[in-house]
Amino acid sequence: MTNRITLDMTRRGFLGTALGGAAALAAGPSWAAAKTLNILSHKVHETVLGTGTDNDLMKDWKAKNDANLVFTTFDSNPLQDRLFREASLPSTDYGVGYIIDNRPTADIAKLFAPLDDFLASAPIENYDDIAPGLREAMTVGGKTIGIPVRHATGGLFYNEQLLEEAGISAPPATLEELIEQAKKLTFTSKDGTPVTGMIMASDLAVFPVSFARAYGGDYITKDFKLLPKPEAMEKALATMADLFKAGALPRSYATTKNDDQVTWMQQGRAAFTMITFARFKQFNDPAQSKFPGRIKAVQFPKSSSYDGEMAAVTESWGMTIPANFADKDLAWSYIREVSSPRVTLGMARNGNGPVRVSTYADADFAAASPVAAAEAKALATARGAFPPFPEAARAQQLFLEDVQLAVLGRKTPAEAVESMVTRITPLLPS
Amino acid sequence: MRTSRLLIGAGKAVAVTALLFWSLFPIVFIVMSSLKPGQEIFAVPPVYVFTPTFEHYAALWSRWGVFFDGLLNSTIVTAGATALAVIASTCAGYIYSRGSGRFLNASVMFLIIVRLIPPIVVTLPLFPIVNAMGLNDTHIVLMVLYATFFVSLGTVLMRTFIDQIPRELDEAAEIDGAGRLTILRRVIVPLAAPGILAVAVFVVVFAWNEFLFAFIFTATRAKTAPLVISEMIGSIDGVDWGVLFAASTVQLAPVLLFVVLMNRYLVAGLTAGATKG
Repeated sequence: MTNRITLDMTRRGFLGTALGGAAALAAGPSWAAAKTLNILSHKVHETVLGTGTDNDLMKDWKAKNDANLVFTTFDSNPLQDRLFREASLPSTDYGVGYIIDNRPTADIAKLFAPLDDFLASAPIENYDDIAPGLREAMTVGGKTIGIPVRHATGGLFYNEQLLEEAGISAPPATLEELIEQAKKLTFTSKDGTPVTGMIMASDLAVFPVSFARAYGGDYITKDFKLLPKPEAMEKALATMADLFKAGALPRSYATTKNDDQVTWMQQGRAAFTMITFARFKQFNDPAQSKFPGRIKAVQFPKSSSYDGEMAAVTESWGMTIPANFADKDLAWSYIREVSSPRVTLGMARNGNGPVRVSTYADADFAAASPVAAAEAKALATARGAFPPFPEAARAQQLFLEDVQLAVLGRKTPAEAVESMVTRITPLLPS
Repeated sequence: MRTSRLLIGAGKAVAVTALLFWSLFPIVFIVMSSLKPGQEIFAVPPVYVFTPTFEHYAALWSRWGVFFDGLLNSTIVTAGATALAVIASTCAGYIYSRGSGRFLNASVMFLIIVRLIPPIVVTLPLFPIVNAMGLNDTHIVLMVLYATFFVSLGTVLMRTFIDQIPRELDEAAEIDGAGRLTILRRVIVPLAAPGILAVAVFVVVFAWNEFLFAFIFTATRAKTAPLVISEMIGSIDGVDWGVLFAASTVQLAPVLLFVVLMNRYLVAGLTAGATKG
């Protein structure tokens, strides 16, 4: 008698088991719900709803509608591509798609169901509480095609510790003060880190647009007027070029990206930056930042020479219903719930930029978010960097080319502005 | 003479070191960064000596569970695509090696031309078709697409390998009563195993890392790991670099290990037929 244990397996048996296993895995388990609403969004839109946690903000809605929510998430640009592609098909399984405010051109808007009838028959609670600028961004040709759900409005972040080291007691109140402080903060900090006064990404329109608005100008207005005050844009470019020349912008300005802004601020390599208020948490996260609790934010200041109101640059997201989706009532029911004051506040507590003005008035929320007051103030008049139009991406590319050349001193501000007018005007809607 | 030899040797050493640095630096940077405390990842000057932490891996596990679903999907798709591509390439390579005729000769050129077509050209028109067939967001569609795009190269590779197997062995088996399929199974496949492995290595590396097809044709059920990593990079809340590097390391490790283990077959695949007279 032998105690040897043997394992006999034929090749056919092995192959069968392997293929069977693979097929079972490929098929995947399925738990059927009464209804399923498929949603195309960014991961953050799912996260802020508390999906999959004990604090699921949509728990009651799911129970009431006997419906399950399935999120398909992508990064922003791929998400928009996918959404438009799905909405172009004869039919789609996606009931709700999240859209960025600078994407819905007249042609793209046709892919989505107009929501005005839904708003009339089953209104969103206290709809007027949603910031008017954000609602307007989701209105194309007089029709509402999306309901605002999230905004990212820009503010001026500063490293309080570095300001103190340089003997500056308060953040700048005017653009002129900002320039002066940025130059002063181009120094070596106490811990030996070379500090650059300000950092800004060179591939985003938000910076030149903010500087231009600080002087009362703009890039492209809502009614497609390019550079309504060219002299303001010239001043903006001259100011940015001056910062670069003084070393108060990184030498690597031409290749600086959005993520560099974050890491430079976290590492104390830059004293100021302009980025969305939503980054406050990340800047002050002790696990990532060398200055937890010391990086603060205010509204981006306007020039002392400009008396008018300065609009902060904002980017918002809205919820749409693809026109080719069958069960639009279910999709609208979801949108109504997500837009309610209760869910808006819940999402804000989870890190979402709240689209309702009333959310900022909530005492608990305001206490938990030190930038809430500044953000609310900025949001009140905020608008996108530019309106949506078919050639917007190309126009932005040309705009940024000229901005970069001006900042680097390869063109005078006047030459850059002239070039913008020449090259971008033909791209604007007639 | 001796000096010049020394100089040449030193030059080679510098070149190899530079090449190694160029190739390995990104990998070492990613792995090291995944183990660094968050504050130190982009510290200036860079921190080379640090106490390793697995906090980013823990965060990856707790916050990005979908990444591990993606890894499972990547594994299923890679295994399926590799099996399909290897079987099809071996059969086709055998026919191209042993068969002859105008059509066969002309179609070799077609195989190469197909390989030159940019994937995006066929991808977008395929989307509505795949959707209409109900294959969107399934593992099958990725398996078939990946295999399809590699069958041409795999066939050419396998033909080169099988060409090196003496035809006399086929003839001997035929005399013993073996049919085409038996010859392929009992004679060709065992002797062409290094070629099969070389093809498998190419397909595995491609399928494991592929992004475009996965992006176009998947949503949730078949979403692969590279798509999840792209979401981490594109986070509108800000990139958590530690978690991103942890995910990249986890994504990188299996394929790196596989390629290292299969290295000699990969080289064999790249040099197949190079010394043929």
